[in-house]
Amino acid sequence: MNRTQTHRQHPSNAESAHETMVDGHVTITELEKVYESGDERTTAIEDFSVTVPSGEFLGVVGPSGCGKSTLLYLVAGFLEQTTGTIAVDSDPIDGPGTDRGVVFQDYALFPWRTVMGNVTYGLEEKGVGKEKRQATAQRFIDMMDLDGFEDKYPKELSGGMKQRVALARTLAYDPKILLMDEPFGALDQPLRESLQDHLIDIWRELEKTVIFITHDVEEAVYLSERVLIMTRHPGTKKTTVNIELDRTQPREELVLSDEYTTTKNDVWQSLREETTPGGEH
Amino acid sequence: MDVTRTVGLDRNDVIAAAKSIYSLVLLLLLWEFVAQYDMVHSYFLPPLSDVLATFYELTADGTMLEHAYLTFRRAMAGLLLACLLGIVVGVLAARNRIMGWFWDPIIEVGYPVPVIALVPVFMFWFGTGDLSKIMLVAVGCFWPVAINARNATREVDENLVWSARMMGTSDRRLLRRVVVPAAAPGIISGVQIALPIALIVTFVFEMVAGGGGLGHLEIQGVRSFESAQVYASLIAIMIVGFTLDRGLRYLRGRLLVWT
Repeated sequence: MNRTQTHRQHPSNAESAHETMVDGHVTITELEKVYESGDERTTAIEDFSVTVPSGEFLGVVGPSGCGKSTLLYLVAGFLEQTTGTIAVDSDPIDGPGTDRGVVFQDYALFPWRTVMGNVTYGLEEKGVGKEKRQATAQRFIDMMDLDGFEDKYPKELSGGMKQRVALARTLAYDPKILLMDEPFGALDQPLRESLQDHLIDIWRELEKTVIFITHDVEEAVYLSERVLIMTRHPGTKKTTVNIELDRTQPREELVLSDEYTTTKNDVWQSLREETTPGGEH
Repeated sequence: MDVTRTVGLDRNDVIAAAKSIYSLVLLLLLWEFVAQYDMVHSYFLPPLSDVLATFYELTADGTMLEHAYLTFRRAMAGLLLACLLGIVVGVLAARNRIMGWFWDPIIEVGYPVPVIALVPVFMFWFGTGDLSKIMLVAVGCFWPVAINARNATREVDENLVWSARMMGTSDRRLLRRVVVPAAAPGIISGVQIALPIALIVTFVFEMVAGGGGLGHLEIQGVRSFESAQVYASLIAIMIVGFTLDRGLRYLRGRLLVWT
């Protein structure tokens, strides 16, 4: 208990790291990903280019099987593209790296580590000393409303809590870019909404660049500054839609506003053309 | 902290424990009854009370402990050796292409071989001493340990590995930091499966090759027409097996509190 209080008194330590962080833009140029198995060649992503400026919240929607997840895994560095380049701050990426952080739909927490152990993992790998590690982790644990659960193992937590731990774990090692693969897809509606709002707050406070994959148009429009719509197989960028909403109003009012409804319908229409058989493809 | 649990035994605990072994007690009573009334010749089945008396005698003069220790030592040494090799081979076969290419077929073929059949071969090659016994135990236990370690490693959620790499874990540290902890439940299951194999191999080898141990003590009983000694040895090996199994379970619980 004592420990928690001391750290709450000095949040500025960990925060100062974020103040200098203005970089974190992603440039994807003519990306192509072809899966080969035997003689079969499947093009998952083709002719895909987009620039995500620093601090932008980009939502990516597309019909299922359009390669949204493939796109995210390429940016994460888990997969290697066939052609094209992916660059973070103009440096082409080379595999996974701590400049990016991934949040998976299935949380991917380390089950043998406690909540604290999970959140400190990335800091351990960075070689941060124990006290600093605990302090930083505690800050993000508190931020995600997980205080009191530091010593719990993932199996003892609900789905929503696990995803908050996963988010805290990613934020703790301070990546510039958050890559989120349908992170709230497995959660029920109220939980989902509260986590969405939580995410917006965090994104504003920490000024991260976010690439958020979802199949849910409402979620994309509600969260994003810009929504990228992908075409059906093979996946490519169909269009991007700027979302201009008055974010000062509370959720209940925002979702009833004309701008929200209109934008949502635009995105939905565009996506629908891709999901309806006999559409563009 | 669970402070509500008392250390001493509650009356209800004793009753519950007795209830859980009802059938066992019934069987033992039946044994005593059948033997006491000479329904079976006492050479084949001496009364349980005689067996227990012999067991007590052998324990009191230290004979039983000496033999039990020999069996325990051989089984544990072999099992330990098998764990060291089997876990390394299993994990690497799952993570490394060349190791997988080399070991997969060997594991598949070696796993179902009844290792007891190799007792004479090991006697040829390595003699009848401790080393020979320990090595055969290791061979017998290697397969279940290796195959379980390999399968558990293969089934490690790839997202865990990716998460770790994203957070800066190098390929070299990945095994220690993520793969082995994630596969630990399966790896330990392999060790639990190997435990009775270790005891079986030791016991049979001792019967065949002598050199002391509970297996030797039992076969000695047969050869000298001391059937009570046969059954007393049997009880001893059951106690050894039961204790080791419980010990492993306890260890599993301690190591895997998170499961």
